[in-house]
Amino acid sequence: MKFHLSHLQAMLLFALLISVAFGFLSRRRPLDRVKYIAWSLLLFLLFGIGIGWAMYPFSR
Amino acid sequence: MADETQIAGAAPGDKRREARAIACGVAGWLVPGLGHALQRMWSRALAFFAVIGVLVFVGAGMRGNLFNSQGGDAFAALGYLADLGTGGFYWLAKYIEAGGPDVSHAYGDYGTRFLAAAGVLNLLAALHAYEAARGRKA
Repeated sequence: MKFHLSHLQAMLLFALLISVAFGFLSRRRPLDRVKYIAWSLLLFLLFGIGIGWAMYPFSR
Repeated sequence: MADETQIAGAAPGDKRREARAIACGVAGWLVPGLGHALQRMWSRALAFFAVIGVLVFVGAGMRGNLFNSQGGDAFAALGYLADLGTGGFYWLAKYIEAGGPDVSHAYGDYGTRFLAAAGVLNLLAALHAYEAARGRKA
């Protein structure tokens, strides 16, 4: 069994899974969990894509 | 001395609770989510089982590096500790990754991170199960 995920797919999957785990770990009420997961996922993606662009000038 | 007196005078119920908490922590480490399932925290149990299971499954499918005890350096030892954190899923990853790791591609390197993250996350979940069983707010 092999998975060939692109950079973006791997980051999206990783961010989603870790956000879900943190949401369930740190919040008790379902609505709080959903809010936490959405917020955490958004920050993961913003920082991931932001750091990617910040590294762009040094990539060549 | 005062601490020894307190431990010696601990109520039997406290000792039993502590033993149960340790059992929940160890169970949670061996099978992700089991520590919470034993305390009837079903949604957390299911979430941890699914998240850690998917991380291990995808990480091994991406042919990430699954460290063993014969690493040779400090980073390999740390990687082994992180991978061991997945408990029983460590052997599941070994089974899935029958062809061995391949970190010559980017996805193999990502797979290594997925496996390590699964282990550390499971240790965190097991610690949470232990604390919850001790009666701490969780």
